[in-house]
Amino acid sequence: MTGMRGLSVFISDVRNCQNKEAERLRVDKELGNIRTCFKNEKVLTPYKKKKYVWKMLYIHMLGYDVDFGHMEAVSLISAPKYPEKQVGYIVTSCLLNENHDFLKLAINTVRNDIIGRNETFQCLALTLVGNIGGRDFAESLAPDVQKLLISSSCRPLVRKKAALCLLRLFRKNPDAVNVDGWADRMAQLLDERDLGVLTSSTSLLVALVSNNHEAYSSCLPKCVKILERLARNQDVPQEYTYYGIPSPWLQVKAMRALQYFPTIEDPSTRKALFEVLQRILMGTDVVKNVNKNNASHAVLFEALSLVMHLDAEKEMMSQCVALLGKFISVREPNIRYLGLENMTRMLMVTDVQDIIKKHQSQIITSLKDPDISIRRRALDLLYGMCDVSNAKDIVEELLQYLSTAEFSMREELSLKAAILAEKFAPDLSWYVDVILQLIDKAGDFVSDDIWFRVVQFVTNNEDLQPYAASKAREYLDKIAIHETMVKGLLKSDHWSLSQVSAYILGEYGHLLARQPGCSASELFSILHEKLPTVSTPTIPILLSTYAKLLMHTQPPDPELQKKIWAVFKKYESCIDVEIQQRAVEYFELSKKGPAFMDVLAEMPKFPERQSSLIKKAEYVEDTADQSAIKLRAQQQPSNALVLADPQPVNGAPPPLKVPILSGSTDPESVARSVSHPNGTLSNIDPPTPSPDLLSDLLGPLAIEAPPGAVSNEQHGPVGVEGVSDEVDGSAIVPVEEQTNTVELLGNIAERFHALCLKDSGVLYEDPHIQIGIKAEWRGHHGRLVLFMGNKNTSPLTSVQALILPPAHLRLDLSPVPDTIPPRAQVQSPLEVMNIRPSRDVAVLDFSYKFGTNVVSAKLRIPATLNKFLQPLQLTSEEFFPQWRALSGPPLKLQEVVRGVRPLALPEMANLFNSFHVTICPGLDPNPNNLVASTTFYSESTGAMLCLARIETDPADRTQLRMTVGSGDPTLTFELKEFIKEQLITIPMGSRALVPAAGSAPSPAPPVAQPPSPAALADDPGAMLAGLL
Amino acid sequence: MIKAVMMMNTQGKPRLAKFYDYMPVEKQQELIRGVFSVLCSRPENVSNFLEIESLFGPDSRLVYKHYATLYFVLVFDGSENELAMLDLIQVLVETLDKCFSNVCELDIVFNYSKMHAVLDEIVFGGQVLETSSAEVMKAVEEISKLEAASNSISLVPKSVSGWRGR
Repeated sequence: MTGMRGLSVFISDVRNCQNKEAERLRVDKELGNIRTCFKNEKVLTPYKKKKYVWKMLYIHMLGYDVDFGHMEAVSLISAPKYPEKQVGYIVTSCLLNENHDFLKLAINTVRNDIIGRNETFQCLALTLVGNIGGRDFAESLAPDVQKLLISSSCRPLVRKKAALCLLRLFRKNPDAVNVDGWADRMAQLLDERDLGVLTSSTSLLVALVSNNHEAYSSCLPKCVKILERLARNQDVPQEYTYYGIPSPWLQVKAMRALQYFPTIEDPSTRKALFEVLQRILMGTDVVKNVNKNNASHAVLFEALSLVMHLDAEKEMMSQCVALLGKFISVREPNIRYLGLENMTRMLMVTDVQDIIKKHQSQIITSLKDPDISIRRRALDLLYGMCDVSNAKDIVEELLQYLSTAEFSMREELSLKAAILAEKFAPDLSWYVDVILQLIDKAGDFVSDDIWFRVVQFVTNNEDLQPYAASKAREYLDKIAIHETMVKGLLKSDHWSLSQVSAYILGEYGHLLARQPGCSASELFSILHEKLPTVSTPTIPILLSTYAKLLMHTQPPDPELQKKIWAVFKKYESCIDVEIQQRAVEYFELSKKGPAFMDVLAEMPKFPERQSSLIKKAEYVEDTADQSAIKLRAQQQPSNALVLADPQPVNGAPPPLKVPILSGSTDPESVARSVSHPNGTLSNIDPPTPSPDLLSDLLGPLAIEAPPGAVSNEQHGPVGVEGVSDEVDGSAIVPVEEQTNTVELLGNIAERFHALCLKDSGVLYEDPHIQIGIKAEWRGHHGRLVLFMGNKNTSPLTSVQALILPPAHLRLDLSPVPDTIPPRAQVQSPLEVMNIRPSRDVAVLDFSYKFGTNVVSAKLRIPATLNKFLQPLQLTSEEFFPQWRALSGPPLKLQEVVRGVRPLALPEMANLFNSFHVTICPGLDPNPNNLVASTTFYSESTGAMLCLARIETDPADRTQLRMTVGSGDPTLTFELKEFIKEQLITIPMGSRALVPAAGSAPSPAPPVAQPPSPAALADDPGAMLAGLL
Repeated sequence: MIKAVMMMNTQGKPRLAKFYDYMPVEKQQELIRGVFSVLCSRPENVSNFLEIESLFGPDSRLVYKHYATLYFVLVFDGSENELAMLDLIQVLVETLDKCFSNVCELDIVFNYSKMHAVLDEIVFGGQVLETSSAEVMKAVEEISKLEAASNSISLVPKSVSGWRGR
């Protein structure tokens, strides 16, 4: 730590570099130097090694890749002297990831340090293990770490590290750390006097309880005791008193732990806890000292969370809201921020919404706070608290804010305003006003679905059509004004507005014909004035509008016809295919007389469907992470969908929050980078799948195809569920056919197959309900969450969900509420544990009542064998000894499979990889063969290596020979059968890999899947890097 | 869980960065740059919280504190209390202050190895290890003694910055 002149000189040199280039040269020189020294082992003293390894870490921090010298760093771990050992440990934990092979080499040394007598070595080793936390460490070291934690002879310094080390190992590999019987030990640990050890132990408790709260119920009263001890300031040493507050961290942690227990049964414990909470709520004031303020409010906000969690009496809740009301108006910005955030969470508590509404004006003021973080919180809160009674006020405030909001917030803001306007509109003309204003003000920040939605609304509400048309006409004048005032801006600012106005006037302009200035030829000329300034995607819409105007002109106006034909003629040779096609087709159609009328007749009504905007908001919520508290809160039926943070659709990147703030000196480049996502959205090419967007409005065939026609084909009666497929006979659970009166959206079997290969998506959908699923798999554990969303404006009742588990799975579904309120979504976690290998699947028996109509369905749960596989790539040195060790049946089985769906070899490799059986390329000398490996997890087998070899015949792709081996005969058999099924029936998810070869039974028409979260996330970081 | 601890100066140069989930070096740099680009545009007297889900993914939060020429940044998930994290930054700074008596950026630059030792006594595998700066100091001093004992010639004492003259 002290005394490395070489390191200091190097750091100093780097600091003196005038620019990045000079720095790179200096760093490269140093790296070359280190490399040479490492090669020459003889002159490499431990001191030099240490110095170089520190330099490597420093260079790594500066952002240069250091791809050598890892071995030297690891080897220092076994140095006998402290300084070298310390460097070895610190640098290793920063540079290597948990799967690095070198770590395996170090395990023995690390273990010796942990079980050795030297406490400082113990600390170093624990720190490494805790910072890295890999599976190998967990498997070989967890028992030793556990021993240290409960040892009475160890100093607190070691024990607190052991507690956190164990926590990390458990979090990362819950299946590899045995915590059976730890409840009693945990309870003992919570009696600890040393506050350092106690803080770490409480953190460990949080991890254990979040996994299984029932086992640790004996720890609950202990947490309350700790809180009492701190609240009364009993036995709290001076060094743990932070700005006069007895260890705020421990108070926070203990209250956090309590939030993982569903409730507190014991009346005396509950009473004691509420006394402490009451004292915290009442005894905290805003003081001058910033640090004291932060610490006391850390405790206070945690207490508020706990009170909300415990469903305290209404009186205490109102007290909390009153406190929060005070916070959102204090000077201290941190407290304002957290006040708003907690008020948003408070919305989920029943019966306090009305008290929160009293603070509406203060919250609206926060929308003008100088701090963008606070403005965002205020927006979230306003969005959450909006209902029919205050929608007008709130939406108008949001619209006003829209003109001044920074670019990074506009898209989110406009989406939220649009959703609220739609959900709570007191009348429809208000809704149209709001959306047009919104499009006007937000310009490019409005995503296309907002204007798609308003078109849908107008089309479906005849009364609204004349009003909308006259509004659109007004806005066109306004655009003209803009044009003269801000000519340059028009182009980018009013795409959406021109589009929506043009569309509405084309459809309904004729309803205005009697008003002055609204004849067809006048509408044409005002629209046509805009044409030279509009964007390419707008031109096709204008052409459609012209065609419609022409059709609506009765009796025909030869003058207008001449003008419009001239336009069509002009665009017949346009380079843009879409524009060209429309121009040619409209021109030809318009010569056809009556047929022209039929084709261009008014658009039929759209089938009632859920707003794509609201769906989008829900979708984001689905993908959000779930802490215990959030999860619990979301299970409450109220306001479930209003808390989401919407993101742009169509897989477009999230709003560019960061780069805009970066104080770029080039406003034009900022504007460009911002307009980009929207620019691509309005492109005509059908974008990323999103079946519900009205993309048909922009599609070339929009006019011919009534919107209902397409979606009908996807419907099929319930009951032809894929469980009864012959090829899929593996499902042993009996599933009878159902006859229901409800039409399905999408094919259940296909949805199931798709979900077998990915971890989130829609499991079931009909006109009333959508059931989505999201899963996480770790070893032989799985955690699924079922999202049940009511699509209607009336509740679904008698909701029942039962799991019929197969023998090899242990399943635990949290209770599903009896009623799903209108447009709400409930979530129900489902815990899965795999006991032994089997291909059977679990079935969800699901039913609900809509009106008097009972709908039920039996759905397979995608907890299939492949979910318990983890990809593993082996080298030939690793593979062949294992392969040879498996001598033959029953551990290694071979079979010739015929009737295989023909696949090219790379496609087959993709298929294998997609179900986590990793292809190890280059291992088999015959290029027609594939060799693959994977790890299977179950309670009975533990983690078990599985190997497979596929020998294909290039002359006949419909047959192959397959050999599968593992250390467990059942596993070998089941895996072999599983792979066979996959090869014979190609599941949905991989369809893209298989250009229709068409020998297998043809499945129902494909259903566009909702975009996977991965696609949505779209790595904003990478984007950012591109912009910088 | 704490995902990352970062210290950088007001020019955006990283002074110490530690990520508790492994991340390749390019990704680390990207995040440091991303965080800095937001931080440097924050006015004074605003909250210490930043929205950074666009950088670090869902359920991530960031608190920072600005001292003289340095930013101290903690990134963590929803299982931590925001204000308690802010307090932890204060503990870290107070500890450094005790280590270097009136810590300044140069101390941090030239005592790179010591910084790691101090941080490892406060944050451990993404969890809060110790919150009492007195306890942290005890542990750090113990380490220093061990070093001195096995390293008889101490080439550069703490006052390295004075020795280099800048």
